[in-house]
Amino acid sequence: MTLKRRALLALAVAATGLAALPALAQDYPNKPITMLVGYNAGGQTDLVARGAAQVLSQELGQPINVVNVPGAGGVVSAKKLQESPNDGYTIMFHANSVVNSAPFLMKRVDFKPDDFEWGGFITAYQGGLVAPADAPYNDLAEFVAWAKENPNFAYGALSPEARMYMNEIAKKNDLKANIVPLNSGGEMINAILGHQVVMALSGGIHAKYPDQIKMLATLTTFRHSNAPEVKSIDDFGYSLAMDTRAGIMAPKGTDPAIMAKLSAALAKCETDESFQKIVAAANIPIIYMDAAAAKAEMEATFAKNGEIYKSAGVEPQ
Amino acid sequence: MQALIGGFAEVFTFSTMFWIVTGVTVGYILGVLPGLGKATGVAVSIPLTFYLHPVAAIAMLIGIAKGSTAGGAVSAILLNTPGEPSSAPTALDGYPLARQGKAGKALKMGLYASVIGDLLSTIVLIGLAAPLASYALLIGPVELCAILVFSLTFIGGLSGKSLIKGLIAGCLGIAFSTVGLEIETFIPRLTFGMLELDDGVKLVPMAIGMLAVAEMIVQAGNIRKLDAETAEIGKSNRREDRNLSLEDWKVCAMPIIRGTFIGTVIGILPGLGASVASFLSYGAARRAADRPEEFGTGRIEGVAAAESADNAVIPSSLVPLFALGIPGSVIAAILIAAFVLHGLTPGPLMFKENPTMVAAVYASMLCASLAMLVVGSLGQPIFARIARFPIRLIIPGVLLLCCVGAYMETSSLFSIYIMLIFALIGFFAKKFDYSFVTFLIGFVIGPQVELTFRQSLQLLNHDPTRLLQHPIAAVFIVITLVTLVLMARSRRNQPEAPGVATTKSLNQGGEI
Repeated sequence: MTLKRRALLALAVAATGLAALPALAQDYPNKPITMLVGYNAGGQTDLVARGAAQVLSQELGQPINVVNVPGAGGVVSAKKLQESPNDGYTIMFHANSVVNSAPFLMKRVDFKPDDFEWGGFITAYQGGLVAPADAPYNDLAEFVAWAKENPNFAYGALSPEARMYMNEIAKKNDLKANIVPLNSGGEMINAILGHQVVMALSGGIHAKYPDQIKMLATLTTFRHSNAPEVKSIDDFGYSLAMDTRAGIMAPKGTDPAIMAKLSAALAKCETDESFQKIVAAANIPIIYMDAAAAKAEMEATFAKNGEIYKSAGVEPQ
Repeated sequence: MQALIGGFAEVFTFSTMFWIVTGVTVGYILGVLPGLGKATGVAVSIPLTFYLHPVAAIAMLIGIAKGSTAGGAVSAILLNTPGEPSSAPTALDGYPLARQGKAGKALKMGLYASVIGDLLSTIVLIGLAAPLASYALLIGPVELCAILVFSLTFIGGLSGKSLIKGLIAGCLGIAFSTVGLEIETFIPRLTFGMLELDDGVKLVPMAIGMLAVAEMIVQAGNIRKLDAETAEIGKSNRREDRNLSLEDWKVCAMPIIRGTFIGTVIGILPGLGASVASFLSYGAARRAADRPEEFGTGRIEGVAAAESADNAVIPSSLVPLFALGIPGSVIAAILIAAFVLHGLTPGPLMFKENPTMVAAVYASMLCASLAMLVVGSLGQPIFARIARFPIRLIIPGVLLLCCVGAYMETSSLFSIYIMLIFALIGFFAKKFDYSFVTFLIGFVIGPQVELTFRQSLQLLNHDPTRLLQHPIAAVFIVITLVTLVLMARSRRNQPEAPGVATTKSLNQGGEI
């Protein structure tokens, strides 16, 4: 009975929605769009977001105002997005880790993929485990063998996620690691080049130093465009690879027609020359996913990442 | 040298010069406006430079960084509102000078100190980028930690009349700096469940609240006296208050040289930044002064010390970038993107692959220093008029600027609340004579000490004897201990009461 009533209600809502929305979506956008970015101005994601905003505004014919709302790795911005009207005039460009990773690390964050609408992804982060180029090991397996002989080695970690990787590797191989906390990607590069740490987790910035830094394993399920020969951590017998992508999200309930427009406009980044230049400068690959693919990706990675964190014993703090 | 001359040839074209001056001017204005920092300025301008010649583009971006660093002094001196966080120590003596009718003098000294610090540091970059950079890599977390702990002893020298109050303020500063996610496990500390506090209390709204808003509250209660003072300032248009005398230069020469040195070294070391440099330089100048207790009442050396160090950081923070490809500061990190975008890969290869381009960038940096001098000199008389407005007109304007400045960085009202809370703290700190400087030093250096200490623990494998493998660190630890002992002794030997009395009478003498 309730089920039936609910179905009827849903139908009614859908019907009114269908009647009312096309008109709205058709002339969308007819005023400037605000695009939130959950990191500080000048970071990699911010640069990509500004590049994408330029393409979007050319495609949609309306200016796009990029507003930086930094805090808690994007959570502050995502909460702000949730509170914004779902009319398509407030969107967010961010790393999807804010939804498929943050809830497993932070107790006060309870985002789920269907708390947002997904307008597609345009880039992916190429994270990996990296070491100085002159290190006596060339991949993760060799590193583990070396580390057994050299206990109390120093490993650089930027985040609890990075600690989790080392803890899992150490647990499996009975290693003794000293985990050195690092504050930023730049500091990570310093620690590697200065040989203060023997290995570190890099979010992708290491690609700018091909002669000085080598990658031992990728932390993604896919091979990296700039180092196709390096295997994924999963190929070494772990199941820890997690993909992070950047793209557009919108408040729950934003009209699918609007999301489709945003997704189509985002696709144009793939061929836009100045966008290509920006991401090439930052060594970020363009990997486009449309709105539907993005939604499926979010569902899949949310479940998968949750499983990884759970089995690693990582408690949200 | 030959290459540098070639570089100048490339820079001395109308369009390149035009973009340098544009960059410096835009930067200067961004610097004057509180809250709009150099990082935001450069980041937002990168897309605008797509269409420029690479040299012009990079010159413009560096011009913005340099200009805004110098511009930060203007609002610090005139309104007690640091335009950039690193100009906060400039306000400590610059603003009292402005209230004494010596705004012109303070502004000029601020500008000249900026230009000198900037120019010398640029020359260090050009001459020594390669050899210095390899030393920078020798300074790891263990060494940094020792150096930072040493710099915390400055709190002692900066405390002024009461060491205890100085230490209390310093510890409070450190306490506030621990707010936010703990660095290793991301456990939130003292955030009371507020996500906005996860990244800690931001320096900009805090400094604006403590310095500017608190000052405006104090002034609002004092309006009659200040109006009379302002009227006085308006009438007394004395040349010596507007211009720098030979005496001023004599007093400031050492602080400027010291500040440039401190700024250059801090710039080369990774991760410390301009705020640390300007505070340390201010502290060092105060310690070296013959009557340190007069600092904070309008000593021109205070302005000179802070500004020279502040500006010296920008060029020298490019040393690790140029020589090794490592960003030493936020600006350097943002510039990497710009360099690559325009076909230069920062790092040692850059000198081999693109020598003319590097020379052109160097030449344009030197030109930007001079452009800063020109833009600053032209802009100052316009800004300096602010000091002549009656205070009742200034207060609302400054409060508006404060709110905008606090809001800008995070686009959230939360920062304005932070500003208001610290305005309250600042007001009472002023009334009960607790030092801002030691508070802010604790706040700026505290997190760095914590991070490097934790890193050191891991790197030394929890074994103190391993410190012997880090001679630089060991030396600094010894210096710290010696300084503490010396300070304790000199305090004990000082006959206290007469010293305080003379200070007070001197202060009053200075104000009347």
